[in-house]
Amino acid sequence: MSEITLYNHDLDENCYRVRLMLSFLGLAHEIVAIDMVPGHEEKGPAMRALNPLGSLPILKDGDLVLYGTQAILAHLARAHDAAGVWLPLEPAIFSRVMQWTFFSATALSCAIEARRVAVFGLGGDLETLKHEARQALRIMDDHMVLRHIEGFEWFAADTPTIADLSLLPSFALSRDYGIDHDEFPALRRWLRRFRILPGFRTMPGIPDYH
Amino acid sequence: MSSEAAWVPVALSASIEPGTSAGAVVEGAELVVWRDAKGVAHVWEDRCPHRGMRMSFGFVRGDHIACLYHGWSYDTAGQCRHIPAHPDLDVPKTIKIATYAVEEAGGVIWTRLATAAQAADPLPTMGTNLPVRSLYADCSAAHALAILKQTLLPVGKGETCPGRLQVVTPHVWTLEAGALSLSIAVQLIGPQKIGLHILADEGAADLIPHLARWAQALRLALEEPVTVAEVA
Ligand code: FES
Repeated sequence: MSEITLYNHDLDENCYRVRLMLSFLGLAHEIVAIDMVPGHEEKGPAMRALNPLGSLPILKDGDLVLYGTQAILAHLARAHDAAGVWLPLEPAIFSRVMQWTFFSATALSCAIEARRVAVFGLGGDLETLKHEARQALRIMDDHMVLRHIEGFEWFAADTPTIADLSLLPSFALSRDYGIDHDEFPALRRWLRRFRILPGFRTMPGIPDYH
Repeated sequence: MSSEAAWVPVALSASIEPGTSAGAVVEGAELVVWRDAKGVAHVWEDRCPHRGMRMSFGFVRGDHIACLYHGWSYDTAGQCRHIPAHPDLDVPKTIKIATYAVEEAGGVIWTRLATAAQAADPLPTMGTNLPVRSLYADCSAAHALAILKQTLLPVGKGETCPGRLQVVTPHVWTLEAGALSLSIAVQLIGPQKIGLHILADEGAADLIPHLARWAQALRLALEEPVTVAEVA
């Protein structure tokens, strides 16, 4: 078994995506805490030697050093999920998983940015970002309305995949950047089902009901 | 503005599962809609008396809903029953959340933002319905009516048919096309924001996916900027 290390910041939602994957797969790992806010440690020379983009998360798995959240999720699923549940390879499902996983890195990047502006006080046009994030969440809600009508509870397959995992934090954390859940009934339903998956864990901003 | 005695929709019944809560806004008033574990729906003011946290962020346990901030827990009458920081305290009767009348009819949760003393309008009759979806759009009710007058509804086999729109009450519209009959429960959220809770008659089961796509396209039409020529 290779040794896994995650360079992590607890309040960063992309790090949370990787923590979720590690938790669902039950993988032992080490966490290296990076002072992202306020220290910008991920942009320093030591961290840029691992990831020239100067961003988190970064994953070390044995000799492999990976950056890019979606790439890390795909790697963990391929390398450590023997049953292939989180990243199914059947062509019809795989392509849907890819579409929605990329959606989380493209259309939803405004949601991630909006949260950074709102939570960490970084510069940026919050209203424009929120507007774009709302449009992306609507596309997701529309999709899940149809999926539910067709009898499915997940974005791309009849079980949760890395597509669901990579999309979910932007919705679960949307109140952090001022978008409520009222308008997205199909996403509320999906979030509730996701929350009860074995291995689910929260992060600050996603309430732990106790 | 609707009269306080009117029944107004806040959600499709199917969207509020037992043991869950959600926020809903009616003409600027923030509400929490929640369903207890026994399946009974409740509509309250969306505000915890402790520090004003929205109750819709909270969580349902059995027949209580608890606030997310400090866990104050309320029974189905809105009465606070438990304060975790003072577990032995006999909670004063004054710690209570305003509750509103609730009825479920035709697949929709209705509420009345009035005190019990006011005479109530009769509950809207909607028949038996299959939920299509709730659609939220940034436009006025008047604009939605104008757009819906010109809509083409899917009626099966890839065909569409102009819908006949009827305004039964400010909160209940119907659209008919051939054998298809749609009911729309209209939630007035703000001057430029509405929620349309769309349901189809029982015979339309096969059309539901098409109707959901129609609704999705409808939102684009509703939010398209109105040109000056149209306004004139
Ligand atoms: S604000 Fe609700 S318990 Fe404190």
